[in-house]
Amino acid sequence: MAETNRPAAAAAAAAAAPYVPTAEDFTFKNESAIEIDSNFASQSFWKDVRIRFRRKKSAVAGLIFVIILTLMAIFGPWMNSYSYYKQDLTAANLAPRIPGIERLGIFDGSETMHTTSGGATVVNGYDTDARRNTYYWFGTDRYGRDIWTRTWSGTRVSLIIAVVATIIDMVIGLSYGLISGYFGGKVDIIMQRILEVANGIPRLVIVTLLLLILKPGMLTIIVALMLTEWVGMSRIARAEMLKLKEQEFVQASRTLGAGSLHIIFREILPNIIGPVITQVMFSIPTAIFTEAFLSFVGLGIPVPQCSLGSLISDGYNSFTTHPYQIIPPIIVMALLMLSFNLIADGLREALDPKMKEM
Amino acid sequence: MKAKKLAALAASAVMAASLAAPVMADEATSAADDAALSAEDLNVMFETPVESLDPQQATDGTSFEVIADYTDGLMQMDADGKPVPAIAESDEVSDDGLTWTFHLREDAKWSNGTPVTAADFVFAWQRAVDPDIASEYSYMLSDIGQVKNAASIIAGDMDKSELGVTAVDDYTLQVELEAPVSYFESLMYFPTFYPVNEEFYNSVGDTFATSPETTLSNGAFILDSYEPAATEIHLTKNPDYYDADRVKLAGIDYQVIQDSQTALMSYQSGALDMTLVNGDQVDQVKDDPEFSAIAAGYLWYVAPNISAVPELDNLNIRMALTMAINRQDITELVLKDGSKPTYTAVPMDFATGPDGTDFSADQTMFSNVCADDATQAAEFWQKGLDELGISSLELEMVVDADDAPQKVAAVLQQEWQDTLPGLTITLKVEPKKQRVQDMQDGNFQLGLTRWGPDYADPMTYLGMWVTGNSNNYGLWSNADYDSIIEECTTGDLATDAEGRWAKLYDAEKIVMDDAVIFPLYTQSNAQMTKSNVTGVEFHPVALNRVYKDAVKSE
Amino acid sequence: MKKYVLKRIVTAVMTLLVILLVLFILMQLMPGSPFNDEKLNDSQRAALYAKYGLDKPVLVQFVNYVKNMLTGDFGVSYNISKNTPISQLIRTRLPISIGIGGAAVALGAIVGLILGLIAAFHHDTILDTICTIISVIGVSVPSYVFALLLSYQFGFRLGWFPMLFDAKHALDSSVLPSVSLSMFTMATIARFTRSEMLEVLDSEYMLLAESKGMSGAPLIFHHALRNALIPIITVLAPLIVDLMTGSLVVEKIYAIPGVGSLLVNAIQSNDYNVVISLAFIYSAMYIGIMLAVDILYGVIDPRIRLAKEDG
Repeated sequence: MAETNRPAAAAAAAAAAPYVPTAEDFTFKNESAIEIDSNFASQSFWKDVRIRFRRKKSAVAGLIFVIILTLMAIFGPWMNSYSYYKQDLTAANLAPRIPGIERLGIFDGSETMHTTSGGATVVNGYDTDARRNTYYWFGTDRYGRDIWTRTWSGTRVSLIIAVVATIIDMVIGLSYGLISGYFGGKVDIIMQRILEVANGIPRLVIVTLLLLILKPGMLTIIVALMLTEWVGMSRIARAEMLKLKEQEFVQASRTLGAGSLHIIFREILPNIIGPVITQVMFSIPTAIFTEAFLSFVGLGIPVPQCSLGSLISDGYNSFTTHPYQIIPPIIVMALLMLSFNLIADGLREALDPKMKEM
Repeated sequence: MKAKKLAALAASAVMAASLAAPVMADEATSAADDAALSAEDLNVMFETPVESLDPQQATDGTSFEVIADYTDGLMQMDADGKPVPAIAESDEVSDDGLTWTFHLREDAKWSNGTPVTAADFVFAWQRAVDPDIASEYSYMLSDIGQVKNAASIIAGDMDKSELGVTAVDDYTLQVELEAPVSYFESLMYFPTFYPVNEEFYNSVGDTFATSPETTLSNGAFILDSYEPAATEIHLTKNPDYYDADRVKLAGIDYQVIQDSQTALMSYQSGALDMTLVNGDQVDQVKDDPEFSAIAAGYLWYVAPNISAVPELDNLNIRMALTMAINRQDITELVLKDGSKPTYTAVPMDFATGPDGTDFSADQTMFSNVCADDATQAAEFWQKGLDELGISSLELEMVVDADDAPQKVAAVLQQEWQDTLPGLTITLKVEPKKQRVQDMQDGNFQLGLTRWGPDYADPMTYLGMWVTGNSNNYGLWSNADYDSIIEECTTGDLATDAEGRWAKLYDAEKIVMDDAVIFPLYTQSNAQMTKSNVTGVEFHPVALNRVYKDAVKSE
Repeated sequence: MKKYVLKRIVTAVMTLLVILLVLFILMQLMPGSPFNDEKLNDSQRAALYAKYGLDKPVLVQFVNYVKNMLTGDFGVSYNISKNTPISQLIRTRLPISIGIGGAAVALGAIVGLILGLIAAFHHDTILDTICTIISVIGVSVPSYVFALLLSYQFGFRLGWFPMLFDAKHALDSSVLPSVSLSMFTMATIARFTRSEMLEVLDSEYMLLAESKGMSGAPLIFHHALRNALIPIITVLAPLIVDLMTGSLVVEKIYAIPGVGSLLVNAIQSNDYNVVISLAFIYSAMYIGIMLAVDILYGVIDPRIRLAKEDG
């Protein structure tokens, strides 16, 4: 506000003496220090968010990575002739080999084997007539399956699981939290006690039991993840509800005769969409991660399907022998986790205007 | 080579010692022995923790191994797995094969100083069949040992005092059987038959065998560090052991390591002297002279649910499934732990016949019905489909959620689907307890399962496919088969070793011809033992490792 | 105040009882049975069920269990360590898990706090992004991979720390497992500290403090951090419980005799008493810590107490 007044003051001073204003008089002196207060701009909230989000470089980078990885998850498995399930036991444990780059001496299909009898030997599984012209870009696993194809189809499975689980847990958590917060009193006390019980039982016990009882598969894992994640979402929804429900617009609506459901889902829900989206962005990587943990304890996706988690836990056993098998899924997973977290951070700040001045 | 080196070391030590202290010659020589041997413990890796050190409650190999380290039974295993006297100096059997008499040595003592007597065995055996104790291995006395009245006592119909075992005097034990059991001596090294001192047991009550203070030793070592489900267990040489001169190790230190890579790294860094190796790490160790594959005895096989799944009731379909498996690939390219492809219903290397050869030495015996033959498999498959009037088939296989079975199942799934057009296999991976339950309830189509021998006789396998046996998961039934088994267990052939052996082959042929199971492989464990450790005996049955003759040199 | 605390304790105990009942019902849903060796026949299994009273109705079992529990008897293990009282099984393992988990939480909280502070004070700069990336990397790689990597590099290659846990040398053999476990705490605390600090720094009283001429360390520590700390502790509390039980993978890699691996083994082998006891201890710790935090809040901030007493 103060800055906007300054040129006017200068103009007033200039009016005392005959002076012909130049174009320079109408520019800010130190432009970089000036913030245009966007509160006054007639922009919609979401346009505002978009602008603030774009200003956050790390968040944009995260978004780009997520888009690239999603595209790879869709198209990656079709980029070569291998399938994610086809085994070729004679071509097991081949190191990565990429045409072109192999001439540089890397990714040429050779790997160094540190044996216990001392020393390291270099082996190249492609040194047979039959495989002279074979290329596995990321190498093969212990059954001779192409790791490139498996990595991307695993990414696909992990993304689907994470996104679906998060959306469902958002719906459940939101409804639960909003209802509990809105009605308050006895309803709230009972609902919060139920939540406390659900939260008090170790996740591992619930999830393992569920996976033992239901038929193993993507759906079961989604249900299991959903069960562990909805609590956080409901907490946020309830807290927001408590903040908003005494505000004027809600009371106005109530006076006008609006029903509870209308107020909860039509009046309040749109106002808390910001924190909800942020929470969703944090939930997706958590879901990916939890799935990986489940795979490791043997409760993952059924073979020969794979997820990032099952690929990592498969590769884990060959970590000291054939380290290249675990690297691609680990990198993809780390990138996904990082990207979603960066997006979430960016979104939170973009959605919360009070932080923008910092 | 090794012996020579040892001797040389010993000799030089003797010289050094005698020069230093010529007066105390006796002590010097014993010190010399110690110099050649390592004063350190033998460090051994376990994959799973001990479940119980109570000899009548234990059921797993890990527990058996530790129990046998500090407890001797009537018999012990020699290097070839044959029973040789331990607490029993000698034994004799009556002409009808129904009464065994064991003469106990008089110099065997428990570690609290009381002598080991026949009463200790009577007390222990009665515990094994006591319904209040509910020992899981009580069938070792009833079904397998045929000890008189054991079955009735287990069922609660008789008092445990009526068990057919009596202490004639302190050092004579007499056992009465329901039927002659040719392998009875070899049961005596099984921990279920190990003695327990009644007085001591009563003094510790329910805490028996849960800590070093609540265990008694009469064996080569003394347990001195243990707690339930411990990751570290320690035993020291027992100086009062009746055969103490034979024991060369200062002690054994067990470390439970569930992660195979940590285990191998620990071995390489010298923290372990012996470790198991996972197939995934074999590429790193296969050229190492310290690496070897040890027969583990288990037969892995697929059981089809013949009675409940109409498609699997079709012999051609079953033939196709068993022929489509490439067992060679599974063991050599995937497991890589030295497991051997198996084409017989009784696995290799555990049962030696009257002629001294292994029962299953000839693996081509049933090659017309069980082989790695994709072409024949496809033919059988087509015939089967035609008979059933279907063109596609979906089957589900239950699999343990453990490393090796999951690997094998993944390959089986692919091989079957590749070789047999129209077949879709789904895998249901579940914890072992649940898988076993599913199979016992008949709630499965195909099941990947295993069976370890309880005693060194083919009957430990062939007994399974008798009508009504709880391990005959597919509920297959064949009257001829049942009568052969009957004849060989309690009938005329029970005392005729050679005739019985020949008949057992007839029984096996029926099982194979009918493809009652699809045998896969006889399990081996890939393991590494440091080159300065010798004399550890490995067995596929009962006690996996015995350390009485083990030597760890400097 | 007393009334409030009492009320909270009573609800906590009630919640625990309900949890125990739910656990019992869950155990009934569990497929398979604890006695399922392939070598067992039906009559033997029936005998085992009778021996442990598992043939009785759930409610009777529940009442018996609660009765025994009040006398400190948690029952015996069925198959992980046959007939061993659970109390004996847990007695040695729980302190180890708490020790390693506690060290991990402490380490993670300190490093996370520092990372979060740096990020907050250099908001929207490259330093902020770097801190975020470091803290997220910690949770991007599954702890078992991280643990194995540490074990391989610092245990095997460099030999700085032992690869296996050893109760006799608990201190140096806890280093690698604690570090591997601390990653998640570190990431969570770093992120939370950052956002809380941003909010505090933006608040009016910070402006006031600044305008009073405060700056540097006193400003940060007396005003900013102090206010950010309360919500951070709220996040930290449940993490402590999680770490003590959720360390099973790390326990497996470093051969640590803790409770995490015990719980998983128990679930997979249907060792009901072990599962129920461990899950219950977990719940009790969780609810206990939440209760402590709640009461502490009431002490610190009378507004919360009054609000709750009204509700």
